[in-house]
Amino acid sequence: MSTQTLDQSRLTELSEQQLQRPWRKKPRKFTLSVILAVIIPAAIVAALFVYSDIPGVIVLVVIYFPLQAIAAGISAWLTRGTRSIGDSFIIVTALGATVFSLVVLVSVLGSLILRGFRALSAHFLYQNSVYINPSTPLEYGGIGHAMLGTFLIVGIASLIAVPVGIATAVYITEVRGRAVPYVRFFVQAMSGVPSVVAGLFILTIAVSTGLFNQSAFAGGIAYAILMLPTVARTAEEVLKLIPDELRMGALALGSTRARTVLKVVIPAARTGIITAILLGVARVIGETAPLLLPLVTTMELF
Amino acid sequence: MTTSEFEGVDALEETYAAASRTDSKPLAMKAQDVSVWFGKRKVLEGVNIDFPEQSCTALIGPSGCGKSTFIRTLNRLHELLPGAALAGEVYYDGKDIYSPDIDPVYIRLQIGMVFQKPNPFPSMTIRGNVLSGLKLSGMKRDNHDEIVEQTLTAAGLWTEVKDRLDHAAGELSGGQQQRLVIARALAVQPHVLLMDEPCSALDPASTLKIEETIRELSKDVTIIIVTHNMQQAVRVSDYTAFFLAAENEPGRVIEQGPTTEIFSNPKDQRTLDYVNGRFG
Repeated sequence: MSTQTLDQSRLTELSEQQLQRPWRKKPRKFTLSVILAVIIPAAIVAALFVYSDIPGVIVLVVIYFPLQAIAAGISAWLTRGTRSIGDSFIIVTALGATVFSLVVLVSVLGSLILRGFRALSAHFLYQNSVYINPSTPLEYGGIGHAMLGTFLIVGIASLIAVPVGIATAVYITEVRGRAVPYVRFFVQAMSGVPSVVAGLFILTIAVSTGLFNQSAFAGGIAYAILMLPTVARTAEEVLKLIPDELRMGALALGSTRARTVLKVVIPAARTGIITAILLGVARVIGETAPLLLPLVTTMELF
Repeated sequence: MTTSEFEGVDALEETYAAASRTDSKPLAMKAQDVSVWFGKRKVLEGVNIDFPEQSCTALIGPSGCGKSTFIRTLNRLHELLPGAALAGEVYYDGKDIYSPDIDPVYIRLQIGMVFQKPNPFPSMTIRGNVLSGLKLSGMKRDNHDEIVEQTLTAAGLWTEVKDRLDHAAGELSGGQQQRLVIARALAVQPHVLLMDEPCSALDPASTLKIEETIRELSKDVTIIIVTHNMQQAVRVSDYTAFFLAAENEPGRVIEQGPTTEIFSNPKDQRTLDYVNGRFG
């Protein structure tokens, strides 16, 4: 091969090149066979729906899906040879499963929205359901009590569990004291506590001894017990990912251990720590069992 | 004052005297019989090195001979690694930095360090990184704008970043990040600056810039640099110490002295072989 240099005419030629994506071009035969593979089975099934008495579900599952898979297989074989038959089956299966789950979701949401639309307005968010029964018109009542209760109890739980959880993670990854294996073991064990046990625990040690009334605060502590291991474990994993160079870098600037953690390590792990908090909230926000016992019928905050 | 401190001061005065016989510069730091262990494994044995003030000392030697470990003992970062142990004394400012009444935070403030991998703080801007040392060490200095310009100029980065001081430090290239880290270390006005292979992750152009920076800095600050690159040691350093570890033995200092001596007229055969590239 002879040596080439880049002269001026070649440069202008190159500068006129247009943006292209050659890998997206498909042969015409390919497009045509895909269209046929989609249309033919659909047409057969539509005809069966209209002109036969076979139930729709059976048509769909027993006839349409196999037919579609075979049509896709044939079209793949015609355009790209035997090796692409497997690909086409996988595409049909994946698409079929996606469509199936979408249909279920959309029909559930659809019927909910169609029938419940009249109840949706601002009052739904703040009214409660104290005097509501099945014969009350849709214009009355709402989820205000549930929202308020959730915010209160999750708020109380977060105020307790987030600082304690992050402090636990800092102890494990930054302080690295002697008790690390034990702390980690107990945090791990705590994450296996069934939620009703947390409620029962608060009932026995705090409510029945008269320390607290049955109250949102007692429920919040029960939630905090469930949140703590999630926050601590996730925050620990996130802090472990922060490279040691950052810690060493801060220390080499004459920083104390506390400032290194507070101003360098935790800010560097900020997004991960927010994730840890959100995972902790998600762990408890739908729980009902821990509230059953310490809260029962109360409407008191403390 | 305890007796041990008196001994330390005496020892230092002796070395000051010894140093002044061969060289006019006083010592910034001195390592005396330093041995280092990781767990039960001894990785360094009996290291004695003098570091004259306002000069650049290079620590050279093949991988695994304990250079990086040694440089970490000089500002008490070594003790943070699990299983670390140490014997001997490191003198700075007339005192053993490992004596119980010395605050390691004060030592690390006086003896800054630049690491092998650039480690700017990702949650801070360029400007924030330069000033982070002041914030982290609780040091009070006003005229922040002046400090930023001055240290970035000293690190050879000012012209490249002066229009984007409020951008994230992660936007910079590797070489620029390393110079930013040097500027950050300078902002707390250290007396000694340790550099652990600062150019090993960089391209030749960035390396050249950092070497210029080192040459410039060593007029005011005492620099101790670990390097694998012997040409770099020749280019930047005034003094050189050659480390070597025989198989399954701890690393030792084979020879030390003025860089020109070590490279042109070494006394030990192993040093001669190493500087001529016959091994390592």
